Order: sequence, then C-alpha cells, then structure tokens
Amino acid sequence: MGRFIVRRLLYMLAVILVVSVITFLLMHAVPGGPFTREKSLPEETIKILEKRYHLDQPLYVQYTSYLYAVFIPHFTTTPPNAALSSQDDFLLNVKIGSLWIRWMNFGPSYRSRGRTVNDIFRDNLPISAQLGVMSLIISILIGMPLGVMAALKQNTMLDYLGMGIAILGVSVPVIVLGPIFVWVFGITLKWLPPTGWAAKPPFFLGFLPSNLNWEFFQHALMPSFALGLGSSAVIARLTRASLLQTIREDYIRTARAKGLQERVIIVRHAMKNSMIPVVTILGPLFAALVTGTFVTELIFGIPGMGKYFVTSITNRDYPVIMGTILLYAVFLVLANLIVDIMYAYLDPRIRYD
Amino acid sequence: MRKMFILLSLLVVFSMALSACGGAAAPAPSKVLTTNFLSGDVPTLDPAVAEDTSSIQIAQETFGGVTHLNEVTNAVEPGLATSWDVVDNADGSQTITFHLRNDVPWVRWNGTKVEKVQNCDGKDRMVTAGDIAYGIYRNQAPANASPYAYLLGFVLKGASDFNNGKSTDFASVGVKAVDDQTLEMIFMSQVTYNVQLAGLWVAYAQPKWVIEGDCSGKVVAAGEKWIEPANFQGYGPFTLKEWVHDDYISIVKNPFWPGSEAIPQPKLDEVVFKMLDEPAQLAEYEAGKADHVSSVPQSDIDRIKADPALSKEFAISPQLCTYYYGFNTKASVVDDVRVRRALSMAVDRQSLIDNVAKGEQEPAQWFARPGLAGAPTIETHPDLGIKYDPEAAKAELKSYLDEKGVTADSLELTLLFNTSAGHQAIAETIQQMWKDTLGVTVKLTNQEAAVFWDTIKGKDTPQIYRAGWCLDYPDANNFVREVLAVNGSQNPADEKGEPTGGFNWKNEKFEELVAKAATEADLAKRVELYAQAEQIAMVDDVIMIPIYWYTNLDMTKPYVTRTYSSSGHEAFEKWDILPH
Repeated sequence: MGRFIVRRLLYMLAVILVVSVITFLLMHAVPGGPFTREKSLPEETIKILEKRYHLDQPLYVQYTSYLYAVFIPHFTTTPPNAALSSQDDFLLNVKIGSLWIRWMNFGPSYRSRGRTVNDIFRDNLPISAQLGVMSLIISILIGMPLGVMAALKQNTMLDYLGMGIAILGVSVPVIVLGPIFVWVFGITLKWLPPTGWAAKPPFFLGFLPSNLNWEFFQHALMPSFALGLGSSAVIARLTRASLLQTIREDYIRTARAKGLQERVIIVRHAMKNSMIPVVTILGPLFAALVTGTFVTELIFGIPGMGKYFVTSITNRDYPVIMGTILLYAVFLVLANLIVDIMYAYLDPRIRYD
Repeated sequence: MRKMFILLSLLVVFSMALSACGGAAAPAPSKVLTTNFLSGDVPTLDPAVAEDTSSIQIAQETFGGVTHLNEVTNAVEPGLATSWDVVDNADGSQTITFHLRNDVPWVRWNGTKVEKVQNCDGKDRMVTAGDIAYGIYRNQAPANASPYAYLLGFVLKGASDFNNGKSTDFASVGVKAVDDQTLEMIFMSQVTYNVQLAGLWVAYAQPKWVIEGDCSGKVVAAGEKWIEPANFQGYGPFTLKEWVHDDYISIVKNPFWPGSEAIPQPKLDEVVFKMLDEPAQLAEYEAGKADHVSSVPQSDIDRIKADPALSKEFAISPQLCTYYYGFNTKASVVDDVRVRRALSMAVDRQSLIDNVAKGEQEPAQWFARPGLAGAPTIETHPDLGIKYDPEAAKAELKSYLDEKGVTADSLELTLLFNTSAGHQAIAETIQQMWKDTLGVTVKLTNQEAAVFWDTIKGKDTPQIYRAGWCLDYPDANNFVREVLAVNGSQNPADEKGEPTGGFNWKNEKFEELVAKAATEADLAKRVELYAQAEQIAMVDDVIMIPIYWYTNLDMTKPYVTRTYSSSGHEAFEKWDILPH
C-alpha cells in the first residue's frame, strides 16, 4: 500500500504539470488580455503594466519562471515581508535556524492591486471549504438513508416517494432552490439571514471557523442545504441502484440461509459492498464542493473562492486562473487517491501491491 | 454537593445579571448605514491606481482632492483648497495655484476609535501640498503602472513623459509644493476643466510615511499593503475601519475632518458596503438588513413599481453615461451615410426603454449626456441631434437602394455586442425595429467581453457594434473629444492621425469645434460649440446611433435622508438616518 501511495503521488505531480501546461497555453491563446478594458487604456500604459507583470517576456520564460516560483522551494536569509511586493508572497514559510525555506508563490492578482493568489487561498478557500464540507455531510446524511430505504422497500410507496424526492433534487438546481430558500426563510419568514457567511479570517488552524456558534450555523444552514440537496439526490439514486444489485448476490443469499438477522445482513454485508460506486463519486464531488461553487456563493453572498474560477477567466487574471485550476487539480487527484484507498477497505478483493 | 452546585449556579446567574446592568448605560445608538457594492472584491483602495467605481467611491470618502465636484450638479467646489488662482501663460499653458486649508489632520482607525496620526516629533501630521504632490507622483510613477495615469497625463505639463519613462525626474512634471499650504500646478493648455481634473482621485494626497516607512524605521514601510485596515491612513470625512476581502468594507466617521459647506462633517457614524450580487442585495434590503441598494435587478423593476410600499422607496436619478451603437464608417454598406442615418432614425428609443430596458432611461439624441458641463440639454436644444422618424428613415434608405439598384433584404449587415442577456434583448428589439421599418435583416453576433473590446477598436471593427461610455470627469470634453475625435477612445488612429478602427472617422470641422470648445471660457458659447459638433457626428456624418442616456435605479429606506449622485459615487457625508 505504501509503495502504491508513493507511486500515485509521483503520478499526481505529472498530472499537475500537464494541467499547468495546458492551462497556461490555453489562457494565453484566448484573445483579449488582462488589460483589455471597455475604456481602452493608452498603449504606453498597457506596456508599463505588461512590464510590471513580466508579460513582455516570451511565453516559455513566463512559464518556467512560474514553475520556478510555485514548485521549487526557495532558500533565503531574508524574512518574508509580503507587505512590500505582491509578487513576493509564498504560501509556506518555514524558518530553520537563520534560514527561511519558502515555497509556492502563486503570484499577484492583476485585478486586485496588492493582493496575491495566496491571499485568495488564505481568505476565501477556507470559507468555500467550510461550506463544501457541510453540504457534503448533509448530502450523505440525506442521500444514503434515502437510497437504502428505497432499495429495501423496492416498488413500494416509500421507494417512489424517496426516488421522487431524489429526482426533484436532481432536476431543481441551486439556481432555483437558492432564491426560493432566500425568499421563504430569509425575506418572508425572516428566520435566517438571507445572505452572508459569519466566519471570517483569520481562521482557526487556517481553515476552521473561529466562531462555531449559532450565528455561524444560522448563516450556513440555507446554503449548505441548497448545495447539499442536489448531490444528496445523486447519492440516493446511486445507493439504491447499487444496493439493489448487491442484495441479489449469492453471498447475501448465503447469509440469509445461515439465518443471520436481516439488519446484520444489510449493514455488514450488503451496505459495505454496495458503497463502491457511491465512494467513487464522492471523490470528485468532494473536490468540486470544497474548492467553491460559483452559483451558490453568488446567490447567498458568500465570500468564497467559487467566483474566482469564473471571474479570473473573464478578467484574464492569469495568475488567478493558474492558481484556481491547479488547486482544483490537486484536490481532485488527492480525492481520487483517497477513493482508491477506500476501495481496498470496502472490498478485500481489491489489492494494489 | 448538590447544594454547592445550586449556590454556584445562582452566583453565576447573579453575576451575569449584574454585568448586564453595567452594560445598560445606554449610549446614543450609533448610526450605521448598510449599503452595497456589486459582487467581487473592491480591487484597491489606493487612489493612485484605482480605476473602478467602488474603489473610487471609497477613495473619495476617505481622501479628497484640492477641488471637489458636487455630486448632484457636478459644479466645482472647494475641497482641500479653499481658493485658487488661475493664470494663463503667454506660451499657451496655464498655472493654477491652490491655497490649501491647514486644519486637516491625517487619521487612522486604531481598532477602537479614530485617532490623529503623529509625525516623528510627536506632532499631528497635517495634510500638506507635499502630500498631494506625492500622490500625483505615485499616480504617474511608471513602477506603479496606474491605469488612469493618462487623466493627468493628457493635461499636466511633463506628466506623460515621466509616466512613459522618457523623463526620470519628477521635477520636470508641472506640480510643485511651494509651501505646506500652497500647491502649484502647470497645465499644458488653458482648458476649462483643469480645475476639475486637479481634484480627481488621481491627485489625492497620500501618506508617504506609511507606504515607504519613516522615523528611521519606527514607521515600517507597508508598501502595497498600505491600504489594509491595519496600515491605512486617510483624512476625508470617513476613514477605513474594516475590509474583509470579497465580503464587506466599512468606513467610520472621521471626527477630525473639519467640515466645509461642500464636504460637511458626516452625520452617519459608519457606512458598511457589502459586496453582493444584485439579487442578493435586494434580498438583504427586503429582509431589512440593508438601508440602501445601489442598483435594482431589471427583472424586479415591475414588481417593485407595483408594490405600494417598495415603490415609494424606489428612486430614478440621472447617471452620466450613454448607451449607443457605433458604426465602422468604412465598412461595407454602412460606408454610406444614408444607410447609417436610416438605421439611426428607425430606432424607436422610447418604445425600447418602456418595453425592454425598463429603467426609465432617457431617449438619447446625441452623445454627451445632459448634466455634463458644456453638454447641451433637451430643454435648450429640443431638436438637436437625431430622433425616431420612420418616414424619414425609409426615405433615406430608398434613396440609397435606388442609386445602387438593390433591394433592402439583400443588404448584408451585422451587429456585434458583448455577450449579456441585457444587450441581447436590446439588440433583438432593435433588429425587429429595423426589419419592420426598413425591411433590412441585420444579423446579430456576440463575443465575450474581453475579446469584444479588442474587436470593436481593431482594423476589423464590425459594421455596427454596441458600446457605452461613462464619465471620468463631468465635462462634455470627456465624451465628445476623448471618445469621438481622432485618437479618441473609440476612434483609434495611426501616427499620421489617420483612423485605424472603431468609428474609422475623421472630420476636420468636428476636430476644430471640439478643440475650440475645450478652451472656451464662456459657458453658453461652449454649449453651442458642442451642439454643433454633436450635430456633425450624429446627423451629418452619423457615426453612431445614440440609444439612451442612463439612469440609476436605487432604493432607500424611508428613514434615510440623502442626496442623489449622478457621477456614480455617492456623498455619504450628506446622508443621515432619522430615528425610526
């Protein structure tokens, strides 16, 4: 297993490099630049701006200096002082003796003067992650029981009701559900705040809300549900289908023949084995939810990272495009690695060594 | 044990009750106004590099220029300068000497209250002419790459060369702090709007000691992070309290702002700007969590107007922007002025506004929106420019078709707009108007914004394209000359002054008129000059179809008193919250 993980991590590095090359080339190939404006800037100003951000250099130089800044650890004796330049901000700064090891400089944001991609990771990513994890928990808590119930009571009213809810969940997207929630609970009943997120930087341990109180959950409730319901429907349908298949397997019949209790058969034998397809989609789902969701964050006014995936592209904010895409890629690859490890736990027949 | 527990609980309850009593010495409730910006972080609070409405809004409240523009009338009023002397020099340049007030201290939010800032000797730091010169230096310094460096670059002596790196000596730029209270600026020409430009955000005073450090290292240089709340220093009617990126910005009353007739001491204690998408803003407002929304989603306008309570809180005020369709006057078919005129006269602007745009905009007859200094108004010039006239439109087109011997449906025309549901709806409506009135079928295409902006200025500028313009400073020159004239924003030209894209247009008479209007001191004569120039561009040469003049739709709770700004930046120092 250890060798498998190391191999996969190396493989991940290759994937990230390929993603970075493709993203870099694509974003530079798209017409329009970071300084294209409705009110066009004078050519001299654009030249000065391009020089400031080294966009006047050949593409391969730009790319290699980006790789150097992001991937290669820097050793220096000067302490980090992000204040002085937005082009000198590293995500990790470790001090050993008088030596500073500094790693991962994702560069400045062209749109927000004085802010860096690392600032976005530090301030906005934790909020998206908090929302993502909560909605994932909600989707599992709702989706799995619903799916199991539907499978065990196949073709009964309970099944139809459960799957009806699931289809509704899939077909009513957040863009519809969100405003309905806001209207009903935020404006009409005034039970919950219509927008906003109560946790703000600095975060506990870098990503946990420092105020886990009623105010926090009050703000988190609507967006987490709006976001979680859609995925819970997917989970419910998958769970149902997979469990239906599993309970027709020979080993379940054997278990029944042995006279095991129905509860034990379902929980210990059927459930565990039917989880593989569900776990498979949980990986990418986790990566997608945790790195931010554009629509949900916009509807509920949540200062997460989701909108940067979209606005960075419309603004041609190159470092932010690279940063968000690489971040997503890392989450996706890591989540899939965890999924693969889970397989081995769920199904003893799967072995990697 | 249990007794002990009960006793302890009682003690806890008692102490809590006591502390609650202690805190109940009621201070006057603070007046906090909650409003908003459009979603997305405010790009910067640094006046030297600010370029968008929200950045400039905060800069205007936390700093201020030598002169100030009235947010309603756009008249020039005293700002940091109480008076100024204008001297026209023999070489055609103009020297303006600003006399500054001496009672404006630099302040900061220290975490609990606003306090004055001290210099290295422990004395209060006051805003000086040197601080303003430093602000202009930062705006022009090539290293800062300010997008709006050209505002002063166009007018201030030596500024453009310094910004381009042709000169590295800031002393060559026409700005000088004669003493702490006297600022001298030398402008290249004697245009009327020099005084306006000198007061814009690009020329606000800035705290050198915060940015570069001072007092032999005791004040640490904050560099680009000087605009973060921990470092920020300002002097305007408000100062920065909090900035949670992508979430909200809050500014608090600066009690040390001396106040003047133009910029009074604020009545509000704090203004909170939440960064929200339009529908989310409205939701906050309707839930009673915001006192003002700066814009209203188009889809909600009908509902709000029909609602007895909300309709009273809804206000429409002019906004100094113009929505138009430009022509590439050298592209096929539209290279004939009759076609362009026919297309412009066939647009029923009022119907478009009533049924599609819905924001009670005003039908535009020319480009420079009334309200700008020097711009004609509908009251004084009811027949200037172009209007909806289907019969005249048909006649114009017929004359063209007869001469060419073609039919209307054979004309190949394309309209390009930047992808957006709003622009799409307007384009489809106008497409239908052209079809109904003229019988021409115009093809609609769209491009993503950043691509579009390049396309409509390049050599392949399409026949017809959507565009808009909002003021940088409230003078007709910013519209008529800086957009339409040769080398204007939408009329690029090569070194020889020959047009290369955009309108692709050059008219000597027009150039003469707008150059003359810029230096004309008599306002009535100025308006006439711009009226003549507009007539050439809109009617004689028809380089664009002016469609509508913008309005701003916003909503304010009934307990708020306020002024309505036409520049896009509100003067919150004139707002108040009444007891309610």
